[in-house]
Amino acid sequence: MTYKKIDERDLAFLRSVCGEDKVFFGEEEINDDFSHDELGGVHQYPEVLVEVIETSQVSQIMKYAFNNNIPVTPRGQGTGLVGASVAIYGGIMINMSKMNRILELDEDNLTLTVEPGVLLMEISKFVEEHDLFYPPDPGEKSATIAGNINTNAGGMRAVKYGVTRDYVRGLEVVLPNGDILQLGGKIVKNSSGYSIKDLIVGSEGTLGIVTKAILKLLPLPKKTISLLIPFPNLEMAIETVPIIIKAKIIPTAIEYIVKDVILVSEEFLGKKFPDHSADAYLLLTFDGNSTEEIERLYDKVARICLDQEALDVLISNTQERQDSIWKARGAFLEAIKASTTEMDECDVVVPRNKIAEFVKFGDRLQTECHIRIRGFGHAGDGNLHMYILRDELNQAEWEEKLEEVFRHLYQRAKELGGKVSGEHGIGFAKKLYLQESDGEVNTLLMQSIKRAFDPMNILNPGKIC
Amino acid sequence: MEIIVCIKQVPGTTEVEIDEETGVLKRDGIEAKMNPYDLYAIEIAVRIKEDKGAKVTAITMGPQQAIVVLREAFMMGADETVLLTDRRFAGADVLATSYALAQGIKRLPNNVDLIICGKMTTDGDTAQVGPEIAEFIGVPHISNVLNILEIKERSIVVEMDMGHTIEIAEVNFPCLITVEKGINQPRLPSFKRRLETESKEISVLSLNDFEDQDEKRYGLNGSPTQVKRIFPPETNTNRELWKGSSQELSDRLVNKLMEMKFVQEESGWQR
Amino acid sequence: MAKIVIHQEKSMSPEETVKLCPFGAIECIEGKIEINAGCKMCKICVKQGPVGVFELVEDEPETAEFDPGNGILVYADCSEREIHPVTYELLGKAREMANKIGHPVYGILIGYEIKEKAKELLHYGVDEVFVYDNQHFQYFRIEPYAAAMEDLIMKKRPTIVLVGGTTVGRSLAPRVAARFRTGLTADCTKLSIQDNTDLDQIRPAFGGNIMAHIHTPKHRPQFATVRYKVFDAPARTKETEGKITEYDMPLEKMASNINVIKIKKKEKIEALEDAEVIVVAGRAVKKKEDLNMIYQLADRLGAQVAGTRPLIETGWLDARKQIGLSGRTVKPKLIITCGVSGAIQFISGMNNTDCIIAINSNENASIFNVAHYGIVGDIYEVIPRIIEKLK
Repeated sequence: MTYKKIDERDLAFLRSVCGEDKVFFGEEEINDDFSHDELGGVHQYPEVLVEVIETSQVSQIMKYAFNNNIPVTPRGQGTGLVGASVAIYGGIMINMSKMNRILELDEDNLTLTVEPGVLLMEISKFVEEHDLFYPPDPGEKSATIAGNINTNAGGMRAVKYGVTRDYVRGLEVVLPNGDILQLGGKIVKNSSGYSIKDLIVGSEGTLGIVTKAILKLLPLPKKTISLLIPFPNLEMAIETVPIIIKAKIIPTAIEYIVKDVILVSEEFLGKKFPDHSADAYLLLTFDGNSTEEIERLYDKVARICLDQEALDVLISNTQERQDSIWKARGAFLEAIKASTTEMDECDVVVPRNKIAEFVKFGDRLQTECHIRIRGFGHAGDGNLHMYILRDELNQAEWEEKLEEVFRHLYQRAKELGGKVSGEHGIGFAKKLYLQESDGEVNTLLMQSIKRAFDPMNILNPGKIC
Repeated sequence: MEIIVCIKQVPGTTEVEIDEETGVLKRDGIEAKMNPYDLYAIEIAVRIKEDKGAKVTAITMGPQQAIVVLREAFMMGADETVLLTDRRFAGADVLATSYALAQGIKRLPNNVDLIICGKMTTDGDTAQVGPEIAEFIGVPHISNVLNILEIKERSIVVEMDMGHTIEIAEVNFPCLITVEKGINQPRLPSFKRRLETESKEISVLSLNDFEDQDEKRYGLNGSPTQVKRIFPPETNTNRELWKGSSQELSDRLVNKLMEMKFVQEESGWQR
Repeated sequence: MAKIVIHQEKSMSPEETVKLCPFGAIECIEGKIEINAGCKMCKICVKQGPVGVFELVEDEPETAEFDPGNGILVYADCSEREIHPVTYELLGKAREMANKIGHPVYGILIGYEIKEKAKELLHYGVDEVFVYDNQHFQYFRIEPYAAAMEDLIMKKRPTIVLVGGTTVGRSLAPRVAARFRTGLTADCTKLSIQDNTDLDQIRPAFGGNIMAHIHTPKHRPQFATVRYKVFDAPARTKETEGKITEYDMPLEKMASNINVIKIKKKEKIEALEDAEVIVVAGRAVKKKEDLNMIYQLADRLGAQVAGTRPLIETGWLDARKQIGLSGRTVKPKLIITCGVSGAIQFISGMNNTDCIIAINSNENASIFNVAHYGIVGDIYEVIPRIIEKLK
C-alpha cells in the first residue's frame, strides 16, 4: 500500500485545524509513547501527531486525509495489547484523549453521554457518585471509553453483566470520508435495519472514529463481597465453575488464580496474599444491596464448592480484605511483566466448560516448547489471559518460539470451539491467527465491510483483516 | 495456653465528613466492621494456637450488634467469644473502656497468659486502650510489637519498634502486647469455620457480672475526658505556581521545606 | 457529669430514630428507645433528632474543692542516651502555657548514666529537672518507668503531664494515666490552657477526617501526648537557671517481668506505601546517573525514591518503586515530583498526598493541576541548588 507522505502543506492544514501547539511532527517532537502501545511489540512512529478537542476537527482531518490519501490512526491512552493503535503506515495519528468531557447524565433514561477520551475510572467514579453503575470492568482502568468500545472489552463482571457492546446505546462516528454519523441513541430498543453501531463496537478504529458515546447505566449495587476459594489443584477449581453456573446463581465475576502468579505478585507488591494453602483458587464476586442479600446468594455457592472438595471458602467482606485480594489481582499483569524481559499475550476465549482443558494444554506447552507461560483469567466467561515470557531468549529464538506457541494455542482454542480474542482485539499482532482460525470467507466478508466504510483504506489500515 | 484478643467494631469507613454549620457527622447507614488493626491481633493468636496449641478468646465491648465481629472472630479461628454490653457503658472514653474490658477479662474462667490488642482503632486512633487494660489487670505490656520471635513455656520473645531501633525483649506471662499493622497478613474469615461455629454461644457480660459494680467507673460517668466539639480539619486547597530564576525557586523551596519541618535533623530522628 | 435522657413519649418512628446514630448506639428494644454501649457522646441525636426526644442533662457542678495541682511536667524521652527532640518542642509549649497560669515547668528524665543529659534540658526553659538514674532504667521496661513517673507525680502533683508521641511515650503515658485514673488525650495537634488550668486539646480522629476538641474538667493531672514536629522547639538559651534534682527508687519498685535481650538497628527497607516523604523521578531525568541527585535530595529529607512508569520501564528503578495505577498507591505527608508531567496513570496513585510539590519546566504540565506548590523550573537547575542548601 502506498500513501502520500506528510509535507509542509499538510502540516499547515493540520495546524490551521488543531492549532499551532497541537501538532507534533517527526520523532523529535513526538513522544516515544505514541510509537507503541502497552505491550510494545509493534513499533512505528506516526509522521505527525495531532491533538483534537472536538468532532468537527476530526471530520475536517478525515476529509483532508481522504482527499489526499493519507493514513490516519486514532489513539486513546495507548493501553491496547495488540498494536491496534500503532500507526504502522505512518501518516497522521489523532490523539483523542483530550476529548475527555462527560457531557450529560440523563437520570430519566439512565444514560451517560461522554466524549471518547473519558477514562474508564472517571466514568465509574462519576456515576457511582450518583448511585449509578457502569458495569464493564476491564483491568486497565486508565483506558479511554472509546478504546474500550473499539475492542468491545468486557472485564471481570462480564459473567453477570455482559460486555461493553451491551452498554453502548448510541455513538457519534466520523467516517473515513469525514462524514459525521449518529448511530443509535438514548433508545432502549432498535430494529431499524442493520446495526451499524454494533459493527463499530469492536472495530478497533478501522471503520470510523468514535467522537461521542451514549452509555447505558444501571442502579449501583450497594455492596460487594468476594469469595476466595482454595482448591487442591486447578483442574478441580475450574471444573467447579460449570457446576456453579448450573446452580443458576450468577456471580458478578469468576476468576481463577494459580499459586505461581500469586507468588509473582507478592514479590512485585511486597505484600502477602491472604492465603497460601492451595495451588489454585477461584475468586468469586457477588454484588447486591445488602450484606444479608449477598450472604443468601453465596451460601449456596459456598456449599457447592465444599462439596466439590474445595479446601475452604474464604470470605472477603471489607475494604481492607478486598484490597488484599484485588490489589494482587490488579497487579498480575504488571507483576508477570516485571518477572521477565519481554512478553506477549494470548487472549483466547473458549466455552466455559473447556477452560480446564485449555489451561492444562497451556501447562503442557511449557514443557513441550521449553518456555514459561503464566496466566490467569476470567473463568466465568471462558476468557483466558496467557502470557508467554521471553526470559533469556535472543530475538530470533524468541520470535520463532512465540509463533510456535501461538499457533499451538490458537489451534487448540479453535478445536475447543473458541475464538482468538475475548477482549483485547486483533489489531496488527493477531491478524494472521484470526484468518487461520475463522477462515477465508469470514476474512473476505470483513474486508468487504471495511471497503464499504473506507474505500480508500486510509483509516487505521493494516489492522484486523 | 490462654490467649485473649481484644477487638472492636468500628464504622465501615473513616471517610466521614462534618457539617460545617451544625458540627455533626455526615454519614448515612451504620455499616460496621472489625477494626482493621484487630485482624492482625487475631491472626497472631490463631497462629500461636496452630503452632503451639492454645485457647483463643475474643472479647469486645459494644452494643448488641457487635456480636457480628465476634462471629467473625470465630470464623478466623477464635474458640470462645465474649461480649461486654450494658447501657451503663455508654459514652465511655479510653479510661472507662479499658476499665470495663479489664473487668471483663478478670471474669473469664481461666487465668490468661497472653492478651493481644491491635495497635489502635480506626475511629479513635488513640493506641491507648491496650496499655490501660494492662495497668488495670496488673500485667506488663509491650506496645508496637513488630514481630514475635519465640513462644516459650512461660514467656514470649518479641521485637518492639522503638523508632530508629528495635528492642528485642522477653516478657513473662501473663502479659499484654499491642501489635503493629503489617506484622502478618490476616487470614480471611472461613465459611467452613462458620458452619462449625454457627451454634457456638457468645458469652454476654454486663456490669452486674463484674467484680467492681461501681457505676461511677463506667461509661460516661467513668470518663475523665469529654469531647467539647468536633469539627472538620483544614484541608490543603492551596495551589501556588512559582516562577523565577532557579536560584530564587530553590531558595523558596528550601524555606518552605524548613517551615513544614521536612528537613532531617542531624541525629536522624524519625517523626 | 452530663448524660442523655430519652423522652420516650415524644419519640415518633423508632426505625428513623435508630438510624440517627452513626455509631449504632441507639436501639429499639421492645418498642423502647435505648442508648447502648456504642455511645460516644457526640450528641448528634440531641442536635439532629426529633425535637425533644433526646435531651442533654448537665449535672449540677460539683461543689467540692478540687485541687488543680501545680506545674506542667514534661517527660524527657531519652533512649540510647539521646534526648528525643520532641522533648524540646514540648518544653517550649509547656513554658508558654505555664507562663499564662504562673506555674513552674518540670522535666522528668529516666534512664541510666544520663545525668549529664539533664543539663541540656535546662537550656530550654525548664525550672526543675527530676532525674531517675539507675541501672534498672537502662532499657525501656514499662513497670520501672511507670513507677518512676508515678513517684514524681505523687511528689509534685502537676496539673498537666505532656509526653512525646514516641513509642516509649505512647506506651508509658496511658499506663500512668490509668494508674491515676485520669484522662489522656493522644496525638494532640493543638494545646492551650485556660486560667483555671483546664487544658484545651485538639486531636484528629477517624484517620484525620475529623478533629475533636477534648478537655478533662475534673481530673488531674491532665495527660496529653504530642507527636514529633507538631510544635516548635524554642531556641536554646546560653544561660540556664533551672535546677536538677535526683531521686532514687526502692529496688522492688524497679522489678520487671520484661527482660531486654538486645537492641538492634532498624533496617530501612520500608514499603513505599509507608513512606512519609517521597521524591519521585519522572521522565525529565535523562540518564540513569542523574538519579543520583534524586537520591541525594531524598536522603536530605529522609524520603524514599519512587518513579513514574516510563522510568521504571527503562529499568533504572525497581518495578516496586512505581507509583500509579499499575504500581503503588501512596498517601504520604509530602511528595516532591521531579520532572513528572502528571499522566492520569500516575496522578491517580498519589493525589491524596497531604502536600504535593511539583518541579517541571513545562508550565502547562498537568501535574500542576494537583500540586499545592508548582515550581516551574528545570530539575537540573533547581535540584542541585536545593541539595547544596540542605547540606
